[in-house]
Amino acid sequence: MPRALLSALALLLCLTLAPLAAVAQDTGLKAILQQYADEVAKPGRQTVDTLIEALVTSGDPAVPAFLQNWADREVYQRTSDGQFFYAKKDGGDYALTDIVTGDPAGTAPGAEIDQIRPNGGVRRVIGTALVQFQLSDPNINNRIAALDAIARSPSADQIEPLRASIETEEDPGVLARKKRLDGMLTASFGATPEVRIAAIEALSSELSVDVRAVLNQILTTRSGVAETLPEGANIARELTPGKELTETEAYARLVSAELAQPVQSREQIKAALTANLVDGAVGGVPLGQLVSEAGRDRAYAALAAEGLVPARVTEDDRAAALASHVFYEEYTEPDAAITGAAEAALGSVRTRVGLWQAVDFGLDSLSLASIYFLAAIGLAITFGVMGVINMAHGEFIMMGAYTGYVVQQIIPDYTLSLIVALPLAFAITFAAGVAMERLVIRWLYHRPLETLLATFGISIALQQLAKNIFGTQARPLTSPHWLDGAWIINDVAGIANIRIAIFVLALVFLCLILFILNKTRIGLEVRAVTQNPGMAASMGINPDKINMLTFGLGSGIAGIAGIAIGLYAQVTSEMGANYIVQSFMTVVVGGVGNVWGTLAGAALIGILQKGIEWMNPSNTLAAQTYMILFIILFIQFRPKGIVALKGRAAGD
Amino acid sequence: MIKAMKFSTVAALAMISAGAVSAQSADCPIKVGVLHSLSGTMAISETTLKDTMLMLIEKQNAAGGLLGCQLEAVVKDPASDWPLFAEKARELISNDEVDVIFGSWTSASRKAVLPVIEELNALYFYPVQYEGEESSKNVFYTGAAPNQQAIPATDYFLDELGVEKFALLGTDYVYPRTTNRILEAYLKDKGIAEEDIFINYTPFGHSDWSTIVSDVVALGADGKQVGVISTINGDANIGFYKELAAQGVSADDIPVVAFSVGEEELSGLDTSNLVGHLAAWNYFMTADTPENAEFIKEWHAFIGDEARVTNDPMEAHYIGFNMWVNAVTAAETTDVDAVREAMWGQEYPNLTGGTAVMGVNHHLSKPVLIGEIRADGQFDIISETDPVPGDAWTDFLPDSAVLKSDWKDLECGMYNTETESCVQIQSNY
Repeated sequence: MPRALLSALALLLCLTLAPLAAVAQDTGLKAILQQYADEVAKPGRQTVDTLIEALVTSGDPAVPAFLQNWADREVYQRTSDGQFFYAKKDGGDYALTDIVTGDPAGTAPGAEIDQIRPNGGVRRVIGTALVQFQLSDPNINNRIAALDAIARSPSADQIEPLRASIETEEDPGVLARKKRLDGMLTASFGATPEVRIAAIEALSSELSVDVRAVLNQILTTRSGVAETLPEGANIARELTPGKELTETEAYARLVSAELAQPVQSREQIKAALTANLVDGAVGGVPLGQLVSEAGRDRAYAALAAEGLVPARVTEDDRAAALASHVFYEEYTEPDAAITGAAEAALGSVRTRVGLWQAVDFGLDSLSLASIYFLAAIGLAITFGVMGVINMAHGEFIMMGAYTGYVVQQIIPDYTLSLIVALPLAFAITFAAGVAMERLVIRWLYHRPLETLLATFGISIALQQLAKNIFGTQARPLTSPHWLDGAWIINDVAGIANIRIAIFVLALVFLCLILFILNKTRIGLEVRAVTQNPGMAASMGINPDKINMLTFGLGSGIAGIAGIAIGLYAQVTSEMGANYIVQSFMTVVVGGVGNVWGTLAGAALIGILQKGIEWMNPSNTLAAQTYMILFIILFIQFRPKGIVALKGRAAGD
Repeated sequence: MIKAMKFSTVAALAMISAGAVSAQSADCPIKVGVLHSLSGTMAISETTLKDTMLMLIEKQNAAGGLLGCQLEAVVKDPASDWPLFAEKARELISNDEVDVIFGSWTSASRKAVLPVIEELNALYFYPVQYEGEESSKNVFYTGAAPNQQAIPATDYFLDELGVEKFALLGTDYVYPRTTNRILEAYLKDKGIAEEDIFINYTPFGHSDWSTIVSDVVALGADGKQVGVISTINGDANIGFYKELAAQGVSADDIPVVAFSVGEEELSGLDTSNLVGHLAAWNYFMTADTPENAEFIKEWHAFIGDEARVTNDPMEAHYIGFNMWVNAVTAAETTDVDAVREAMWGQEYPNLTGGTAVMGVNHHLSKPVLIGEIRADGQFDIISETDPVPGDAWTDFLPDSAVLKSDWKDLECGMYNTETESCVQIQSNY
């Protein structure tokens, strides 16, 4: 009796507790986390789905916040008991917060808790799961994050929550994006063909990468082979063996579709013959005859006739098999109206992408040309106007860039430091140029070989000096915040702001140089001295002073170019050497002794380099080689460059 | 009394053994050659390795030297000039008579050194991840082979990030070209179509990245997830990451995994825009072990700057140097052949935990780590494998799949397992 009572009690206990336990296990956030503790601590993209599913369906109000913190790596696991907490560093220890209630849960030293770090793939899955919670979130950044997540991994079940959130959206920018995403989702997953076709047609006026992705995915094909084209299949195109695909490929497709026998290789035939060797003969053909191709063929045919080996596939069999089948590509989307609309939309998108690619190409070339121009314009003055081959020109560029770096160390405000650095770089390199002219170049005028060697030596010395002062590590020259980012016209064409700034700087210097050379007293004197120093001197111009100032001016501009180049590339002691060859090429191609020539040279080299890169995108190095070849050829036909000086100004 | 006797016996024994040892290697001090570029384009990376070697040697000397001798570092600067590496190596071996050389960063410089050290039978420790396809009798490769860096990183891209389209960007020299050839074959093995693999090479110090980055972004036009595997070397990386940031490419859109970008390279960069991009190495400074904490502390004390970082090739030198010390101690001589044989099977604790083992193919067995760049220029370690033995000949190129390296039993670095013959002993391929 007491035993029966006991078991009855136990049964009752079980009956009442079991559902309770099940409820606790399924719904509570903490319970789920403990149930999947390993997956929470070390999530993997392909395995995390069950856990996320369990979390999202639990309906626990703490889940969205948990997912967010999990992705942001603010969740920690305590090693002693495996419990999960949010943690923030607080002095030497971490302050723990309860995941469900948000109450403080004590502290723990760093050694006793492990940070949980979901990787990029898992964060994307989490982002997708968060979409439904974030689409109407009061925080605009969360709404944008949700839209990013949809754009990265679109799926059919996102349409409803997205549409629901459109009605309440207040921010016009986010609203436009939501509508756009709605259109893209509808094109892929819309309920009826009519709705989808309308959405696809609306997309034809776009050209962004994600719209092209949507259209391309609708147009995904799979290859097929059959005796006749299957009824009702949405065929993209038919393939003729020997034209669109090789006969070997076509036959391989037949074999893999089990519509034909594989062709036996020589080794397979040999193996089959060896395996069927009976009493010194194979298929009745004596072993001695097997040395010839004909003998082996006969033996194999005999074996095939006995059914011991599969029949030999001959060339004729192969041709017949190819002829009796059709090869095609079939859209995975069964509705021809939809693929037709997508094809048309993609066609019009492609045309527009092509046009914008040309615009982008133009912008890139212009930007590269302006960088070359800026690097070369100082040289255009010292080499072009004065005829001094200054191999240390690149080191003036480097000096300017390091000036910018040093100023940034002293003035932390990037905008202000840039404003200070530009004139300072000019002043320093101007002084360096003047010093170099006074100490070295002055003694070597009209001795180009000596000038070249002397300046080359100075260039190496300056590089080593920079290494000794600044070390060999590349130094950051950070652009001000307003120069970050890019002017993005659309997904195809765009240009970094810093490159626009360099373009503007190049324009300013072009005008400035032209103004100085053509409209000022000193410009007049410079031109006079370069054309005929003796005559200029007898007119009361001091050629020494003019030469000094001209060289200083050329060097000073190199210093400013250094800041511009440092902002978009790297500041190292060798940066000057990277530009010296391009600069000389620019000046020589453009025509010595003329600022307009330098401009033309920079434009030609910039466009040419980008053009070759565009044709051969897998090898930028080859692009530069082709360009140098072209320039050598160009100089053969036009030795004085694009803009050749004529008459007395040419100096010969 | 007995205690005193015992003590004197021990002392006498110690003295005898010390005397015996110094008799064995009469030429004190033991000279250690350091062949890293201190100028030129690779100086950015290699100068640190020179300092690491000096630190390790100083520490060993403070601990009593080796075989009763002090160690002496002989530093040469080959100036990032590959032929100069060969000349300086010859100088180190013939003139300075060093017992071992630690050096090189680029594969081109290692290839330049190989004929010299094989001719003069010297010992060379190469600390950088490289393209494999090589096993020299005289070189110990303490950096990662492709199967210890490139292949696990590609697997991570495929499995964890779901990348379907790959851009392989590299600097134009032997390491990126060979690595990309291996990766291309591997990706095709994994079912990635040829048109989904974009390969581009740029010169050293390349700075105009706008077109290439636009090309990579445009790869996503067919809706496939794009990922970049970067073997870009040296300071060209700075321009590349700046351009990525300028075009608004975040790691969530197009992840970049780099094989030549570590803590040292990032210290020249504003990393706020790079957060989330990846690197694959066998070591990260953030590794949470007592050995690593100790190593970082010593490094900061040696270099006198708390801001300096540690990186993977430094760990490779740390392991390589300590293994060499142990091998010399075990062989009781600095004789090259004896030390070489003592190196096989040497074990030494990694800074990231676990133990590195030197294989008979002269490659280490090490774990592979994948890190995500943080805003402070350090890496969050998000994946760590079990130790992977370095494979000198990759299994993913048909030509080298049949090759094997075993200097112990086969006495060959290029052994063809199909024909069961040694293709060649020298590594002048």
